[in-house]
Amino acid sequence: MTVAAVLPQPTLAPRKLRRALLWALLLLLLGVAQTMLLMLTLRYEATRALDETEQVASEAAGEVRADLLRAEQQLQALSWTPGPDGAWRLPAAELLKTRRELRRVERRDNALAVLEVLDSPYPPRPFAQMPRSALSLDADIACASARRAAAPMFSRSYFVPTAQGIGQELVDLCVPVLVAGREQGFLVGSFALPPLLDAALSARQARRHELSFVEGDGARLARAGPMRGADVYRAERIVDLPGAPLLLRANSTSGQPSLIPNLATALVLGLSMALFAVVLLLARDVRRRARAEQALAEALAFRQAMENSLVTGLRARDLAGVITYVNPAFCSMVGYSLQELTASVPPYWPPEHLEAYQRRHAARMQGQVAVARDATEAREGFETVFMRQGGERFPVMVYEAPLVDGQGRHTGWMSTVVDLSAQRRVEDISRQQLDRLQATARLATVGEMASLLSHELNQPLAAIASYASGGVNLLAEPDADRHADTPGLLRQALERIAEQAERAGRVIKSVHDFVRRREQQHESLSAQVLLESVLPLARLQARKSGTRIELDLPPASDAALRVRCDRTMLEQVLLNLARNGIQAMETTTPLLQRVLTLRLRPAPPGRVAFSVIDAGSGVPPEVAERLFTPFFTTRAEGMGLGLSLCRTVIEQHGGTLEFGPGPQSQGSEFRFTLAEPHRAQSGDTAADPLAA
Amino acid sequence: MTFALDPSLGIPVVYLVDDEDVVREALAWLLRSRRLLSEQFVSADSFLAWLAEHTAPTRPDWPASPACLVLDVRMPGTSGLGLFERLGQQGLLPVLPVIFLTGHGDVPTAVAAVKRGAFDFVEKPFSNNALVDRIELALQASGRELAAWRAARVHARALAELTEREREVMGRVVAGRANKLIADELGISVRTVEVHRARIFEKMNVSSAVALSNLLRDAAEHGAAAHGAGGRDAG
Repeated sequence: MTVAAVLPQPTLAPRKLRRALLWALLLLLLGVAQTMLLMLTLRYEATRALDETEQVASEAAGEVRADLLRAEQQLQALSWTPGPDGAWRLPAAELLKTRRELRRVERRDNALAVLEVLDSPYPPRPFAQMPRSALSLDADIACASARRAAAPMFSRSYFVPTAQGIGQELVDLCVPVLVAGREQGFLVGSFALPPLLDAALSARQARRHELSFVEGDGARLARAGPMRGADVYRAERIVDLPGAPLLLRANSTSGQPSLIPNLATALVLGLSMALFAVVLLLARDVRRRARAEQALAEALAFRQAMENSLVTGLRARDLAGVITYVNPAFCSMVGYSLQELTASVPPYWPPEHLEAYQRRHAARMQGQVAVARDATEAREGFETVFMRQGGERFPVMVYEAPLVDGQGRHTGWMSTVVDLSAQRRVEDISRQQLDRLQATARLATVGEMASLLSHELNQPLAAIASYASGGVNLLAEPDADRHADTPGLLRQALERIAEQAERAGRVIKSVHDFVRRREQQHESLSAQVLLESVLPLARLQARKSGTRIELDLPPASDAALRVRCDRTMLEQVLLNLARNGIQAMETTTPLLQRVLTLRLRPAPPGRVAFSVIDAGSGVPPEVAERLFTPFFTTRAEGMGLGLSLCRTVIEQHGGTLEFGPGPQSQGSEFRFTLAEPHRAQSGDTAADPLAA
Repeated sequence: MTFALDPSLGIPVVYLVDDEDVVREALAWLLRSRRLLSEQFVSADSFLAWLAEHTAPTRPDWPASPACLVLDVRMPGTSGLGLFERLGQQGLLPVLPVIFLTGHGDVPTAVAAVKRGAFDFVEKPFSNNALVDRIELALQASGRELAAWRAARVHARALAELTEREREVMGRVVAGRANKLIADELGISVRTVEVHRARIFEKMNVSSAVALSNLLRDAAEHGAAAHGAGGRDAG
């Protein structure tokens, strides 16, 4: 368990860390992508706005220039108007009406003096606040240039204040009037800049841009457009007018691209991408899960098949001892279904052992702390007895191991249960066969000895009988018929009889010698050891009928009781008595009372008493009379030699075999005593029978 | 002594075949106490050897007196049963009745032997005088058989003395034909037939045709035994 608890930690921490790292990386990537997306979007918007501004500036510049050039041509056309001096006024007035930006047309002479003036019909009137003369410097310079170049020239712009304290920026166009290659004077047109810009500003562009003419130092001369520019996206173009170029500036009304809508877009985009990624991941995960599930199902099926194919029973119990799982082998072993098995007291516990099992179970529950020790115990397993549904008891080997869940908690016990009954049956059979073989061998020996004895004794006895009958025959002869040889014959007969009787005596003596030789093999051994050496075989015989065998030993101080005996013979006697006891209880005694007690007690002076006590129905009086008679038996398969031989053996050991009713006058007790070694050595083996 | 046997048949003899000396000798002694003569054999083989000597072709008349064989079933060498078989082959069983002595385990064997012609069996340990009674019964049976044998042998000898013509006449006499008819059939005179008939009666020691007929029938019945004896002689 300690191993299980320690191992996952090092693997768990890096895995967690790695997972967190992955998530962080993913978030970082997402953030970077989002930021870059945002930045790119912003930059793109800026570029576009700039481009647009540039384009507006270019278009406007072109427009202004084209407009002014057209006006220049119209003014030139005006200068060519034939007729008297006043003839140009009409077309000029016409021109002033159509062109709002044209504020005034002047005719000047070669000395630049104003000859005629025609003002625009649209208010405000220029040069109302300040006289033209004060403001004509720029026009003069332009005209001088025009004269030099013999081409129309524009003047620099200049401010003309009007009423209400405002004013207009004007630019003059000086067109030299040539008549027949001679200079005849100049036509000067004054253009207001704002209307020029208004004209250049198309409806579409007007909403988004402010157009203005600026000077090189940035001072604004005139502006057009409904809104002020945001001064973020600006583009400047030079309107290339002869004489005085104008700088046109387009200023986009849109300021910096705003973050929020872009962020939202980016977020939506990013989220949808993330969603896509998540969907991909999910799909992958689902696939992996499906694979894992399939693998798990296969593993489960495999495990199920494995469990089902097992002949070993598997049983899982929770901490309260209630069964939570059993495999089919266990069910078939005990003959109960899982539902029946989940009772608080398992139905396969034999009623007679119930208490002991509950004690054992409680001890196990208390001993949970020592799980590690249990683990080693589990490998060794323990043997116990279960009961089938039919009530049949059978021995099992149980290997129990603690059940530990994924969190390392102890949740119950897992047991492997092996049915030992088949093995036991085989053992029983082989043991019984061995027993029977030994018994047969012993019987064969007994039989051989008996037949040898009977043969050896039969001959002299038959001869004796013959001689005796013959003697009687002779004596019965009437005197008259008596032959002369009769007395001789009779003597011969008597001699032969004596001879044969002696021979029979010799046979008997040889048997006695044999028994004496056997007696010399007596050994001194612990009475308890003698009793215990019989136990395994007796238990084996007891198991079939469910009989329990109990040892009733004297208190510890008398534990060292020793006896002197022929060990093999005494073992046979004890086994014989035990077998008789077991068989006496086999049919009539209820299962719970089938107890065979082997009792050992000191029996002063100097003897040890052995008792074999059964709980059977006792010995009926008519049987008791003949109990020790050779060849008397109450059993069909018995030889009737057992008790008789037992008694003989015990008597050879200087004791008597007695029987009586058992304690509480139930059943019966067979009892004999054996001498302790020092008494036996003193040589009174036969003289001192049982002193009890 | 209730035992009565025709003294003319000779002194009866009991043959004892048993490998156990003590038992055999005691039994012989017991028989002696009942005034019965016995001969002892230690084995079946020694008895067979003795028998071969006494039943040689030169001595066809054995047994010369009533006899009985007391035989132990179990013996080293040829067993009692083996000896019994040999006696059966030689056709001696009627004149030499066999009483088996059997141990505990041999009773079925002995019963089977009795069914095949043994006189009786006695189980060991036997009651002594009862056994002797049995032996006497066997000797009586043997005596009867011996007497019949002897008579059959006399008649056979008489038949052998008849001439060819006398045998022809005798056959017709036994068949119940009248002298005249016989004379006609054989083409001889009635007087001659009468002479033949008288001679036949004289030779066969009978006085009437009926007695002759009985005699011939008895002889025919014992013919088998006689023939068996003859076979023994030949072997």
